Amino acid sequence: MGASGVNAGRLSRWAIGVALFLLAALMLAPLGWLIAESLTKESEALRLPPHWIPDPFTVQNYRNISGMIPFGRMALNSLIVATIATAGSMFVSVLAAYAFSRLRFPGRDAIFLLMLSALMIPGQMTVIPVFILLRNLNLIDTLPSLWLPSLINVFAIFFFRQYFNSIPRELDEAARIDGAGNIWILFKVILPLSGPALAAMTILAFEASWNSYFLPLIFIRSEENMTLPLGLVTLNADQGGSSVTVFAAITAIVLPVLVVFLVFQRAFVASIASLGVRG
Amino acid sequence: MVGKTAAPGAPLRPGRPRQQWSGYLFISPAVLLFGVFIVGPFLYAIFLSFYAWDLLTPREFIGLDNFREMWHDPLLRKVLRNTFVFAFASVVTHVVGGLLLALGVNQLKNRFLSGFVRTSLFFPFVISWAAVALLWRYVLSPSFGLVSYYSDKLGFTPPDWFNDSTWTMPAIIGIDWWHTIGFTFIIMLAGLQAVPSELIEAARTDGANSWRVLWHVTIPMMSPTIFFASVITFIGAFQIFDPMQIITPGGGPDKSTMSIVMYLWTRGFQRFTVGYASAVSILMLVVMMGVTLLQFRGSRRWVHQA
Repeated sequence: MGASGVNAGRLSRWAIGVALFLLAALMLAPLGWLIAESLTKESEALRLPPHWIPDPFTVQNYRNISGMIPFGRMALNSLIVATIATAGSMFVSVLAAYAFSRLRFPGRDAIFLLMLSALMIPGQMTVIPVFILLRNLNLIDTLPSLWLPSLINVFAIFFFRQYFNSIPRELDEAARIDGAGNIWILFKVILPLSGPALAAMTILAFEASWNSYFLPLIFIRSEENMTLPLGLVTLNADQGGSSVTVFAAITAIVLPVLVVFLVFQRAFVASIASLGVRG
Repeated sequence: MVGKTAAPGAPLRPGRPRQQWSGYLFISPAVLLFGVFIVGPFLYAIFLSFYAWDLLTPREFIGLDNFREMWHDPLLRKVLRNTFVFAFASVVTHVVGGLLLALGVNQLKNRFLSGFVRTSLFFPFVISWAAVALLWRYVLSPSFGLVSYYSDKLGFTPPDWFNDSTWTMPAIIGIDWWHTIGFTFIIMLAGLQAVPSELIEAARTDGANSWRVLWHVTIPMMSPTIFFASVITFIGAFQIFDPMQIITPGGGPDKSTMSIVMYLWTRGFQRFTVGYASAVSILMLVVMMGVTLLQFRGSRRWVHQA
């Protein structure tokens, strides 16, 4: 702390505080409006002046969501896809990063550099061939089409390798002398010391999968296989004039995220910060 | 993407055979997935760019015709320009905004206020684009949106954001700022807090005023962070798709908000000209690599090497 170069006087410090407070309130205003309107009776909602307090209050708008889209099913799909994609990609990445950091074998550095250079390839470039591949495997419009391609996470491999390299090798040498194998060293020596790195990558991978819209838009057709973001856009497209149901659905998607965010805020922010500092 | 190349790990001595086998075993899931979902598709996209194919009838080899068509495609030129405008605006507004916000928040003495500001700046970033885009379409709605109501109270009429080709792109740039500024802000704040305070104290003792300290010490020390933020903001912004496709599904008035990825998606998955879409994706890769390379080249002049 205290690294700022601006030694503002008390008055300007006050002004900065007030300005930041106003900006923060403005940032939150659309969300406050969203929640208030979603809890207002449909006939009154979305009228001017805008509601900041639901009046008359109702939860009927939330009940109406499931009449239009299978919301619960979509939430479950999102959860399944994000969980498998995150757990799977973390497992694959940790194994590879351990080999790149600790084991010696011909071609190791060449393979690692090849993977690193592929970080430049945008996902949109591979999406057409991946679509064709999944079509040939009969996986289009299934949940595996969403998590299978996410199992490879080159950035996580890179990030874990850098982190593992910062863990003293004497620790695993000591374990090896005691007769430990690679699996034991990875899971009992290295990973317990990699908490922050694991948390950062897990959070980012889960968030990316949970919020993904591009891949589901291309790979999923039927409503019962949709994840929440795509389901929400579909609901909005054929709402039949009931915008306030869309408001309820947006709120139903945003509120759990808000709760999870407030609980894990520290880890969340640390995960983003670590990208810049470690990179 | 992240700048420094990997420092070589342990020197490569011909390890024991068991260790070699373990090495291959440990990387095999990653290598397999990497081949199937990244390298294979990458090569196949290049291959497809020499063909005309609609995914149904047999594909036809057409040599460089897709690239020739790209050269004469006015819509492609337009979407490239849109994407560059968006990416440039995004980099400038995020980097400048993120830096100013970090400097401001870092001065706050009141912990409650500081926490509140951080949380509200960062929270929109964790909401999915789908929810953000739909919400903002309502916020900016001329008939019942917040913005038109309160601007009316303040005595001016806002434009019809999503039907006026001059204002659709600025609206999306603003929405993107709302959604993503928290990310840049956090990175800037981490960079700012990593500046050694002794340096700043030393400059102060030497009689430098606040602005000189900021300009000659803090910002130069933060230059690696600023550089990192501009590189990843550009890469992310150049691949923008979700808000444009959700808010303006057809590309907006006069195609003013069609991004290159949206065009690629339209050609690949709406019109099923898969070969042409692959050629566009190659162009996209080349442009992104070119700009990133330029950023790295340029960085030698201003990024402070620790």
